[in-house]
Amino acid sequence: MIGIVMFAVALLMLLVGFPVAFTFGGVALLFGVFAEGAEMFAFMPFRIQSIMENTVLMAVPLFIFMGIVLQKTQLAEQLLESMGKLFGGVRGGLAISTVLVGALLAASTGVVGASVVAMGLISLPVMLKYKYDKSLACGTICASGTLGQIIPPSIILIILGDVLGIPVGDLFKAAVGPGLMLIGIYVVYILIYSYMKPEAAPALPLDDDVKNKREQYTKALIAIVPPLALILIVLGSIFAGIATPTESSALGGVGAMILAALYRQFSWKMVLSSAQETVKVTAMVFAILLGATAFSMAFTYTGGDYIVEEVLSDLPGGATGFLILSMLAILVLGFFIDFVEISFIIVPILAPVADAFGIAPVWFAILIAMNLQTSFLTPPFGFSLFYLKGVAPPQVTTMDIYRGVMPFIIMQVAVVVSILLFPSFYGLS
Amino acid sequence: MFLLRLEQVINSFSELMGKISAVLFVLMLFNVFIDVVMRYVFNDVSIGMQEMEWHLYAAVFLLGVPYTLKTGGHVRVDIIYDGLSAKTKSIIDMLGCLILLFPFCALVGWYGVDFAREAFELGETSGDPGGLPYRWLIKSVIPFAFFAILISGVGLFLKSLNVYLGNSQADDYQPPQH
Amino acid sequence: DDKVYHLKLAETWGANTPLLGDTTKRLAYLAKTLSNGRLQIRIDSSNKHKAPFGVFDMVRAGQYDIGHSASYYWKGKLPNSLYFTTMPFGMTAPEQYGWFYYGDGQSLMNEVYEPFGLYSFPGGNTGVQMGGWFQKEINSLADVQGLKIRIPGFAGEIWAKLGAKPVNIAPGDLYTSLERRTIDAVEWIGPSLDIQMGFHKIAPFYYTGWHEPASELQFLVNKKAFARLPADLQQILTTAMRVVAYDMYIHFQHESAVNWANMKREYPAIQVKSFPKDVINAMQAANSALLAAHAEKDPLAKRIQHSQASYMAKARAWTEIADQAYLNSMSE
Ligand code: NA
Ligand code: NA
Repeated sequence: MIGIVMFAVALLMLLVGFPVAFTFGGVALLFGVFAEGAEMFAFMPFRIQSIMENTVLMAVPLFIFMGIVLQKTQLAEQLLESMGKLFGGVRGGLAISTVLVGALLAASTGVVGASVVAMGLISLPVMLKYKYDKSLACGTICASGTLGQIIPPSIILIILGDVLGIPVGDLFKAAVGPGLMLIGIYVVYILIYSYMKPEAAPALPLDDDVKNKREQYTKALIAIVPPLALILIVLGSIFAGIATPTESSALGGVGAMILAALYRQFSWKMVLSSAQETVKVTAMVFAILLGATAFSMAFTYTGGDYIVEEVLSDLPGGATGFLILSMLAILVLGFFIDFVEISFIIVPILAPVADAFGIAPVWFAILIAMNLQTSFLTPPFGFSLFYLKGVAPPQVTTMDIYRGVMPFIIMQVAVVVSILLFPSFYGLS
Repeated sequence: MFLLRLEQVINSFSELMGKISAVLFVLMLFNVFIDVVMRYVFNDVSIGMQEMEWHLYAAVFLLGVPYTLKTGGHVRVDIIYDGLSAKTKSIIDMLGCLILLFPFCALVGWYGVDFAREAFELGETSGDPGGLPYRWLIKSVIPFAFFAILISGVGLFLKSLNVYLGNSQADDYQPPQH
Repeated sequence: DDKVYHLKLAETWGANTPLLGDTTKRLAYLAKTLSNGRLQIRIDSSNKHKAPFGVFDMVRAGQYDIGHSASYYWKGKLPNSLYFTTMPFGMTAPEQYGWFYYGDGQSLMNEVYEPFGLYSFPGGNTGVQMGGWFQKEINSLADVQGLKIRIPGFAGEIWAKLGAKPVNIAPGDLYTSLERRTIDAVEWIGPSLDIQMGFHKIAPFYYTGWHEPASELQFLVNKKAFARLPADLQQILTTAMRVVAYDMYIHFQHESAVNWANMKREYPAIQVKSFPKDVINAMQAANSALLAAHAEKDPLAKRIQHSQASYMAKARAWTEIADQAYLNSMSE
């Protein structure tokens, strides 16, 4: 019961507008101390230490740094503008480029905070500069940044593999199809949307100094190469066995500095100021994690996990009914609870039931992973939304972001439904 | 003005945390890079250097929080907040500090002291060959950081108070420059 | 007296970790039924407390009354905790249980833990753990040079002495790193738990064990919490711990056999290998040298080592003419 009240209070308090991280932490404190006493907070250093030792999260500052250096040196702008120009007269080119770059970043990290923030830094300013609709820009960035969660390597898939007892490699392979489907559907949506609403995603104008389209294409292709190569090197270093996925983001950071040097923009002053920006954004991401771990501590230690367990342990319906209801349950819970909590608290309750119905575990896992990915985007507690807000310029409001992600949430739900109905299409049955 | 002066002192403390954290970040970046190069090119691995990676990363994000608080970089749900007057905003921030931020940071910092002291008393080290000694050092970053957030929070409180009292103008948060 | 006593238990693993997570559930069940409901144990797994390696501190501080973990995890805090899980080239599980229950094992373990307000009891055995999954075959000591292997702790130190390079890789990066050959080998546990990691699909060689012949888990009990229990519940608790420890050992034996059969059937290409003699000899030499260095620094370490060595000498002589001779007579 306390858990439910705590959620309601947190929701209201968040709306007041005090920073999210400390609202989570403070509400956890009020309820935790009231229900169990202050000693509960003696657990906090242990939980913080777990975050400190979770080296996979090192990718967050490293990717942010890469994004900031690329942005400061205007290489990000050059990459996206040139990609956008390759689309010629087709509208929405910048947004589509964002999805593609997001997909590449997604293939080199499994940490959403890292890719959303990096994409926000790289592409939001460019889209705004070219008068893209703010909501479309924000939705595109949140959705493509969140792709990191389904396109391997992925933290969700690793946790689900652990919880469900499935080899991680099997899940990684199975997730590729649905991931590509999402990329495809985003691109198609952007094409249709910008065809119907030309002012939302204008085509990029030709440069003044080029005579014809062909010259423009050549110029764009040449400009794309260096920054794109950097991202491909990050990815390639994982495939070649040079670096682990986490370490590859450091190669990205060093590579960005080398690129800056090649373009004669390198200086230690630039590095240090980029580092300081990096720290600012990193701390924003981790403060939310710190607040959220306090919140989930207060939630579970006051019996919240038992409430969730009770509700979920007897879902009615046969195999299909169970699948639909469990997906709905996860989707709804995803509005409020962090994906790690869902994986650890809820999935173990559902797994034996799915097993009893003879539901293929990999299929079930992919459905859950897709669903949890959506939870990153769902207001009010969607972490991707917070992350993007943290790096967006002041004229982008929370409402712009909320509005922007809606169509992408609908697309994700549609893909989940398609996996539910046609598992064989994705090779999942 | 004493209140303004105090706010400035606290702000420069938070700025200092940000500078330290930024330097540690650059060290961490090169730390990871060197570890990759050593392993792949020279087939050499140092567990101590590998542990140094997470020591630095942990210090970066923990010490960064007070700095980000000072710069107004922590995300807010601003659906309502955005439309409010500077005075109302300052009231929200003062109350938020008093009810949410101060007690949270004080309590976590308080328990963090015990946490670090235990590691010190046991002389805790890494359990891995060639790992780093003096675990209490990195563990004591937890209480240090939370007390630093608390101090930075006092800065936010004073800033709001000064706005409320009309001693100073509200300044808007400047996100990473575009 | 029908007062109900509640104990809180923190375990290092997740609630659904096969075998390990079952052991604490059995403990709670046994304690409850044997005491007619008077002894209730609440289990918090790492999913809940989020501090898998904070179990020692949390039980010590009284945040939890019982912990289920492994002694060697505390090596960085308590160097002598190393000796109560398993030792490279040490005793097998039956031999080691003999040492714990009828030799000096339990009393030496108390000597190590009591100063910290803790009791430690055997908490279930995994049996022989495998040497690891390797991307390349080890034919001689030369192949070990520069070998990048993920293996923590004391065994990692031995590998390092041989010229290998133990690495730290985040568990989340482990699969991709082994698959892409960023590292050459991964030491994990054995068929019963390795199968869900999927290493068998990406690494061809499965090496037999040498470093953990009998990993014994541990129940840590806060002394004050234990003292608060009436005598009969204390007896019920210790008895239940002993029963579930033994039961885990048998359960592991069973699951390893079943999973190995499955793995072999599904992936007949897996090549089981043992390390060549020169590598084993070098490991033994490194092990002895490291142990001697520990003994020199700490008289208690010296006594524990001595107790283990002399118990093992006796026990092994019997194992050789009993189990080993029996198995030998069957093969051929
Ligand atoms: Na990914
Ligand atoms: Na959500």
